[in-house]
Amino acid sequence: MNLSVRLRLRLSSSFSLDVDFTVNPGVTIVFGESGSGKTTLLRSIAGFSRPEQGRVTIGERVLYDSASGTNIDPSLRRVGFVFQDLALFPHLSAAQNIEYGLASLDRNERRRRTAAIASSFDIVDVLGRRPKQISGGERQRVGLARTLVTNPDVLLLDEPLSALDRKTQSRIMADLQRWNVEHQIPILYVTHSTREAFTLGDRVLVLDDGAIVADGTPDQVIGQWAHEH
Amino acid sequence: MDWTAIALSVRLATIVSLVLLVLGLPVAYWLTFSPRRWKFLVEAVVALPLVLPPTVLGFYVLVALGTKSPLGRAWMAWTGHGLAFTFEALVIASTLYSLPFAVQPVASAFAQIDRTLLEASATLGVGRVATFFRVIVPMSIQGICAGLILTFAHTLGEFGVVLMVGGNLPGITRTVSISIYDEVQSLNFSAANQTALTLLIFSFVALAVVNALTRRPWAGLHGA
Repeated sequence: MNLSVRLRLRLSSSFSLDVDFTVNPGVTIVFGESGSGKTTLLRSIAGFSRPEQGRVTIGERVLYDSASGTNIDPSLRRVGFVFQDLALFPHLSAAQNIEYGLASLDRNERRRRTAAIASSFDIVDVLGRRPKQISGGERQRVGLARTLVTNPDVLLLDEPLSALDRKTQSRIMADLQRWNVEHQIPILYVTHSTREAFTLGDRVLVLDDGAIVADGTPDQVIGQWAHEH
Repeated sequence: MDWTAIALSVRLATIVSLVLLVLGLPVAYWLTFSPRRWKFLVEAVVALPLVLPPTVLGFYVLVALGTKSPLGRAWMAWTGHGLAFTFEALVIASTLYSLPFAVQPVASAFAQIDRTLLEASATLGVGRVATFFRVIVPMSIQGICAGLILTFAHTLGEFGVVLMVGGNLPGITRTVSISIYDEVQSLNFSAANQTALTLLIFSFVALAVVNALTRRPWAGLHGA
């Protein structure tokens, strides 16, 4: 299943996001400087920003289409989003955070899925604790587990590892790669880090001033971008 | 001490608090999260009882409940008696008069919630109503309790609106404030003092609890 994105969104008199691309299952890195429109792109796909024009589809499923007036509510898009600050619910334990999106399942199935993903992400020991009571790396894995346990059709990650040390980053990248091998869905991964781009990316889109200015493998794109900047 | 008036006031305050709990939450939600540009007008309407003389509000409520008004006529047709100068009229007037005390602490608590949490809830497939009950309400519980306590205390001490709409019918509309006024008019200062002191202590305790809930002075003690 592919994610197809064509949208135009004017954010100010001097800045517009104007992109058109399709991504296959696997990790596509969205690379670019601050203010280039990376987060706005993810928010538009998730349904939190409404473009003036365009069309966003997952396979045959239309999430947004300006021509027909289609704009599916974010809660119905089946688009997983890992936020930069994670947005874990502070009043819930790690286990309750992970179970949060599984309310339609019966209790046994919720428990089974939570236990399975917690084991896979090595966070079984922190399940009873609240987000404030666990480390940054553990919080990150809880955030990732909470999103992945719902089996989204597309996964969006907005600089998810920027606040972590290298060792923890490596571990979480390994977790994500392992999950990706098993599930094979389109993943858009926003980052500033060339290390994350080379480690995770099958493909890199470079965003500059709201437009895609380079598109290729990490080897092709990052070196050229670094040379120019 | 006029226990009948105290019991009536407690019953009125309890009903009004529950009614405003049901009405105040959606109003506070709309005021906090609606993108409508004209919502400042609704905010002004909700806050109006804070600045309006109680007699003015009471007068218009009395007119709205009178037998010539649509509401008064409908009530008359349904029950066989008028709505003005009844306990039900007190509930309606007190609900309007205490609206800002219920809505504003709750809206303030809602406004402090990080919007990203609501977006996270949506991306996990949870709709707005479920997000309201699973994220917004639990995270605003202190503001909701503060609103409830303030509403209860404010309703308990009402005078002007109650007198305009309900009059002074013992056991029906004679609340504790009106009872104190009556005792003073009769130069019965001892009885007035007993009831007034009870109301004073209750009001102090209610405000102390509200302040404790909103400022949480114990929070720093355990690193919570």
